[in-house]
Amino acid sequence: MRPMIPSPRVVAGLVTATAFSLAGCSSDEIRPMNALNGSLERSSDARRDPSMAQGWLATLASQNGRERIELIDLRNGMPVPTPGLNRADAQPVSISLSGDGERLAVVQQRDGRTELMLYRRSVGSLQRLELAPAGVPRQVSLDGNGRMLAVQVSRNGRWGVDLIRLP
Amino acid sequence: MGDRPAISSSISRLSATTALSLLLIGCGPDSRRAPGAAADRQQTDPAISGNGLVLAVIEDRRGRPTVQLRDLRSDQPLPLRHLNGQQPHSSPSLSWNGRYLAVITQRGNRRLAVIEDRLTGRAHPLRPPGNHDPVRIQIAPDGQRLAMQVAQRGRWRVEVLDLSGMLEPDRPGGLRVTTPEEGS
Repeated sequence: MRPMIPSPRVVAGLVTATAFSLAGCSSDEIRPMNALNGSLERSSDARRDPSMAQGWLATLASQNGRERIELIDLRNGMPVPTPGLNRADAQPVSISLSGDGERLAVVQQRDGRTELMLYRRSVGSLQRLELAPAGVPRQVSLDGNGRMLAVQVSRNGRWGVDLIRLP
Repeated sequence: MGDRPAISSSISRLSATTALSLLLIGCGPDSRRAPGAAADRQQTDPAISGNGLVLAVIEDRRGRPTVQLRDLRSDQPLPLRHLNGQQPHSSPSLSWNGRYLAVITQRGNRRLAVIEDRLTGRAHPLRPPGNHDPVRIQIAPDGQRLAMQVAQRGRWRVEVLDLSGMLEPDRPGGLRVTTPEEGS
């Protein structure tokens, strides 16, 4: 009985199939959330600076040339109302959601100044946070319950990071 | 007379808001410089873990923007295994216990998002469909999703990726399913 020797074409086919299978392993594990992504694309002209919480996504969304902070419920992909968050005279620069989605740190420009703000969703309040010593804030990051804030600050032309414990 | 409850309610709300404002502003927040700060070293792009105990920042190391992790209890640096030689780094973010660090790296002439699992020591490069270079990324607190800002046809877009098939959850309390040996 002669042993079965596969033809070169069969060998090439097996190698190609194996290569595709191996290459696909990692990308197969990453699944775009197509329904949500389609909804995000349709509902704005452009979108940037994503911040994720458990069940929430905040982004800066542009519509008709105006950029505003949008908070999206990831269960249904729909924006939720955020009364008092977007002021007509303010331009958002960067945002960060607390892990529970209750607090939002915002850096915004208003009247030629750059301000650090804290928004509390349950009470709809937006308060200014003072930096001490004074500086110009840029990037922000809140922890899980919104009690610790890391903020990138420029002082005397140099960037540093402040850690601020919030009540 | 009928307006009194409404006025009273408005005054109560105003008082509560004022009290909150005074609490947040008047007393002055408790703040400090991040560990690792030095006169000759700039720090940018901070990211704090969900439990508030780990901080990632971008620092210049020999002229190359490099992500650095620090334990905020001891202020000591924490090691990273996979990201050296892939600078410049940008847009770091951390999961709840700081187990996962997501950061944008450079591979050749492309930008590539990578997640380093600090528990197992594994690195997970993210090559999402569409092959767009990431601009900013943020991992969800439990590590099960990641939001990625990309440029497409001359405008910014945000895409959300489901990572639940790749990463186990990093939940409050540090609960985990596998051991480091199992995960490697």
